[in-house]
Amino acid sequence: MKKRNNSFFILAMAVLLPLLVFSILASITFGNADISIKEVYSVVIYKLFHIESLNTFSDAVHDVVWLIRLPRVLLAVAVGMGLSVCGVIMQAVVKNPLADPYVLGISSGASLGATLAIMLGVGAFLGQNSVGVAAFLGAMGTSFAVMFISSIGGRSNAGKLILAGMAVSAVCSAFSSFVLYIANDKNAMSQVTFWTMGSLAGAKWSKVAVVLPIIIIGTLLFWTQYRNLNLMLLGDEVSITLGTDLHKVRNMYMILSSLMVGFAVYAAGMIGFVGLIIPHAIRMLFGTDHMKMIPLCALTGAIFLIWSDVACRIILPNSEMPIGILISIIGAPCFIYLMVRRSYGFGGDKS
Amino acid sequence: MKIDTQDIRLSYGAKEILKGVSINVPCKQFVGVIGPNGSGKSTMLKCIYRVLKPTGGCVSLNGEKLEEISYRESAKKMAVLAQHNYYNFEFSVREVVLMGRAPHKKAMERDNAKDYEIVDEALKTVGMYDFIDRDFSTLSGGEQQRVILARALAQQTPCLILDEPTNHLDITHQLQLMRMVKNLNVTIISAIHDLNIAAMFCDRIYVLKNGEIAAHGKTEDVLTRELISDIYKVEVEIVKDHKGQMHILFL
Repeated sequence: MKKRNNSFFILAMAVLLPLLVFSILASITFGNADISIKEVYSVVIYKLFHIESLNTFSDAVHDVVWLIRLPRVLLAVAVGMGLSVCGVIMQAVVKNPLADPYVLGISSGASLGATLAIMLGVGAFLGQNSVGVAAFLGAMGTSFAVMFISSIGGRSNAGKLILAGMAVSAVCSAFSSFVLYIANDKNAMSQVTFWTMGSLAGAKWSKVAVVLPIIIIGTLLFWTQYRNLNLMLLGDEVSITLGTDLHKVRNMYMILSSLMVGFAVYAAGMIGFVGLIIPHAIRMLFGTDHMKMIPLCALTGAIFLIWSDVACRIILPNSEMPIGILISIIGAPCFIYLMVRRSYGFGGDKS
Repeated sequence: MKIDTQDIRLSYGAKEILKGVSINVPCKQFVGVIGPNGSGKSTMLKCIYRVLKPTGGCVSLNGEKLEEISYRESAKKMAVLAQHNYYNFEFSVREVVLMGRAPHKKAMERDNAKDYEIVDEALKTVGMYDFIDRDFSTLSGGEQQRVILARALAQQTPCLILDEPTNHLDITHQLQLMRMVKNLNVTIISAIHDLNIAAMFCDRIYVLKNGEIAAHGKTEDVLTRELISDIYKVEVEIVKDHKGQMHILFL
């Protein structure tokens, strides 16, 4: 069953775009606070269009819907989109289907930043969200370090990048563990653990206003680069014979995607697996062409994260589950199912 | 389009792989490069198709120095068919061939109907049109090489560089591929292992040994008993069949 032509792609886009809008609107009706659907939409419509006749809800309802739920859903959109797209980019950059957005050591760098902020109060001057900011700085720091290390002694290549990423990751994890061990503070330790599981609970409009535009602009920029991304998978030598020297653009892609992942980490902590599973699922259904991959992954990732976050909010009564746990629990079996059902090859021979 | 190299040199560390190689490939000629393993055939071709940068000397296309033109420009002038094509990701045959259009495209330009037409045409030329929606990785070695040839055709270049493209192919596919290439009527430079294949298709031959040109000239002038025994250390007999085609018999 090969449906890889353009009409299938256009159909998919025509389904996914309305589905994203629907998901945003539907997901704000779920939550622990008991608010009727009618009340939810009267808040949204009132805030958007200022129709006075709808102003019948209480302040508490307004706060829950407008200040808690909606920014949270929009942040889920940004994080899901960003992680999926960066997963695609990283897989192309290192030419390896096993890569995820955190392949340049971003996850351990971010964890180290968060650990330092929580344990030692480093960066308290950065304001309320000092943990997020410290994680962002850690993520950017490690990805630049990895890029720099892999370019020492000649041009960097996919193999050197992956190895440098692993080495820097190991150093950062060791430092995090060291700080945790020395501090021996149970309370802070559980805070760190919770942070590494990821959560969108800290959503605020001020965060959304920073993160969402960056992710959307980044995604659109990458979409314009689809031809280079396709060439990247053929390798540097073939690309040169097809008229493109990928060395420079590769560095640019890594910087841009580190930035996007950094902001995703800043917004929601570590959310694993999205950046791996969404690109693979899309690739299984639509093929490898990045012209289709990028928009499809962006939309699917956003929708996937919205509903995962909804599930996190309602699965446990009066409490919330960290989204990272849920995604792995749901995502991994779905992924295995897709992998087994379709004869999906990672290149080379197919059974 | 003619290709010239002038005294190109290349070293890996202290080891000099190419010790000043000058060749010239006249317009629309099929020029073969032969020589034992490690003689620098592939290295020299890589210098021409810009994957390696020679440490000395220069390569020129129609008199234009290669380092003075962009990769995009040179990809419009020469296409490459190399020996190894293995991808970690799945592409359909159409997508692989479509990438041959990349040098003709500006940054944001979409593929248009004309590009698809060129792709179809290229696939028909190599007899792979029926496979257009197949996954590239599911094809056999010979089929894959024909698809890569179609990609090179889609580049619409006046010259073609073959870097031992028939390695790993059986004799049917070797002959089939070489005949297709020969019929294109473009400038061709090809590294060839099989001396009989070289004898069948080349107008001129360069012989490389230890990074130097050991001999060059018209095919029948170069492929002599003495030269082959000197270069390859094997005894041969050279015969001509009733059509006048020369054959090399290994004794």
